[in-house]
Amino acid sequence: MTSLAVARRRAEPVPELGSLFERVRQRLPGREVETLARIRETAFARFLELGIPTQKAEEWKFSPVLRVINRPMALARRPDLPLAELSRWFAGGTSARRLVFANGHPLPELSHLGGLPEGVRITSLSRAIAEMPGRVAEVLAGLDDGRSFTFLNTALTECGALIEVADGVEVEAPLQLLFLSAGEASATMTHPRLYLRLGEKASLHLLEVHAAAVPGPVLTNLVFQIDLGAGARLVREKLQLGDEATSFLGRTVMRLETGARLLDNVATLGGGFVRNESELVLDGPGIEALLNGVYMPRGHEHVDTLIRVHHRAPRCHSNQFYKGVIEDKAHAAFAGKIIVHRDAQKTDAYQANNNLLVSDEAEVDTKPELEIYADDVRCSHGATVGDIDAQALFYLRSRGLPKEAAESLLVYAYAGEVLERFRDPVLVGLARQAVLERVPGGEMLEAEGLV
Amino acid sequence: MTPMLEIRDLHVSVENREILKGFSLTVGHGEVHAIMGPNGSGKSTLAYVLAGREGYEVTSGRVEFLGQDLLAMEPEERAAAGLFLAMQYPVEIPGVANMYFIRQALNAIRKARGESEIAPSEFMRKLRSAAKLVGIRDELLKRDVNAGFSGGEKKRNEILQLAMLEPKFAILDETDSGLDIDALRTVAEGVNALRSPERSFLVITHYQRLLNYVAPDVVHVMVDGRIQRSGGKELALELEEKGYEAFGEAA
Repeated sequence: MTSLAVARRRAEPVPELGSLFERVRQRLPGREVETLARIRETAFARFLELGIPTQKAEEWKFSPVLRVINRPMALARRPDLPLAELSRWFAGGTSARRLVFANGHPLPELSHLGGLPEGVRITSLSRAIAEMPGRVAEVLAGLDDGRSFTFLNTALTECGALIEVADGVEVEAPLQLLFLSAGEASATMTHPRLYLRLGEKASLHLLEVHAAAVPGPVLTNLVFQIDLGAGARLVREKLQLGDEATSFLGRTVMRLETGARLLDNVATLGGGFVRNESELVLDGPGIEALLNGVYMPRGHEHVDTLIRVHHRAPRCHSNQFYKGVIEDKAHAAFAGKIIVHRDAQKTDAYQANNNLLVSDEAEVDTKPELEIYADDVRCSHGATVGDIDAQALFYLRSRGLPKEAAESLLVYAYAGEVLERFRDPVLVGLARQAVLERVPGGEMLEAEGLV
Repeated sequence: MTPMLEIRDLHVSVENREILKGFSLTVGHGEVHAIMGPNGSGKSTLAYVLAGREGYEVTSGRVEFLGQDLLAMEPEERAAAGLFLAMQYPVEIPGVANMYFIRQALNAIRKARGESEIAPSEFMRKLRSAAKLVGIRDELLKRDVNAGFSGGEKKRNEILQLAMLEPKFAILDETDSGLDIDALRTVAEGVNALRSPERSFLVITHYQRLLNYVAPDVVHVMVDGRIQRSGGKELALELEEKGYEAFGEAA
């Protein structure tokens, strides 16, 4: 590999970005804690060294991330938001506990963590840095995945949370993490960092909602580390309701132990540039993981999903069901890879990515991959890109539905089907509403019964 | 009086292959006509052409539905005019609740006819009684359209829609195929309950057994794209006995 080839796969940060750390390091939380300061400094150096991936880099082939990140941006400040209006993004029902962030800064006025069972510890990152800097250092340094945006996050993170659930504790009430963005005249960015550990046989229903409270150019670079202990159960539901000016880089790195169960639901229903990365390591036998998602970019939006599932142990079962509806001049990309390591016999893994193009100018690139090093496994994948189902369209029209309404209903149904695997009815309601708003001609459909 | 349906010398091709070769048929008000024929005789093509599915090229002939040029109408216009096709293979539509779909269909037809939408309470009343008529469980009304329904449930769901939409003319395309005897009886009872002097039926079937329950006024034998013989319900029994080959030779 020539250094020139390497150079073409990464770009140097623009000077404003390259010097950002020097400019802000004195106001980052934990600056006085030497270990933390050192971790941040090293991380930023790694970011500069790795640079920003160009489209010559295989994993970024379809996503021009340079255009959203390689420009002068300040760290986003805490905005003044009309608090009363923010409850429309609340999910999880009346029993839900909630952490609300605005441009990454905690909004304690809207957060509610009271009455959690013993053994549940939820600490905002800033408080964690003050109270247990050693633990935070461990978490931040504990993720060395060679990704430049992870290092950028480690260097610059100001906010986020550490969530720890002790062995055997089943948390009944859903926990919502609500991230609101508020744009300013010039572009800003925020780097939330989340850490979740479920102890053995612990369980949690986590809701993660991202919404643009004030439209405008905000880049969110989120890193989420999740550890599921043996027999732990996690339902995580992520709803993204950004606007055309917001950008989102999200990376979830998850390690699961023996017999853990995961349901991971994602609905991406807004965002100018969205990259969702999930890397799962199935590290013990008998794990069940279901990754279920829908994306529906319109206008000039861009949604890119990258999934890696590592089967490292025998008898694990993973499923990926991802569906997309791509409209207008939008672009979607999906790359999913199942890696079955040598000892992972009796692996059962499946991946499906189905896409519906509803405009001549819409584009989708889908790339399912299997990498198998064990011999006794059942793995398969399938990807489709298609048009509205002609048979179904005729069926609806033969029952009297006008063509346009029938088409709208089928597009709605195509995306809406994914939401049937979601659990929280409030979040599903928000998602269905957003889907309906995105369906061409959706206003012709009667919302009652659909939303 | 204008007949319900009049088909004159209809020629239809699919991908340049002629399937209907001069098909003619007149159905009067309140009549039940059965069309029987072997596989490949063009029965389903006839059903789809009447309902307006794409992919069928009408090369000549005419179809009048209550005096209107049926072939010039879009599928939804045909439905609004009062035509209904119970399909041989009802389509699954995951993501849309059955109940929602039926209400949308009913309201679309009412709207096209210049009527107001049905009130929710009236809709529920009507739906419950129709569901009872065809033996459909409440749970299937809430599930997605035909998704995960058994073959029999799908057919019952077709007749449920027939009962809800109250068409003037209903085509049943092999509604009996894939039904066990109990389901067949329920479906037939449903159809019989919907018979009226204002409603006509075209029952397309391969076998005679449905006609034991839904007694036709006229039976037509269709072979190779046209009607070879017509007669009373005894013709169905004759067919059952002799098979279609005897009729094929008559062509």
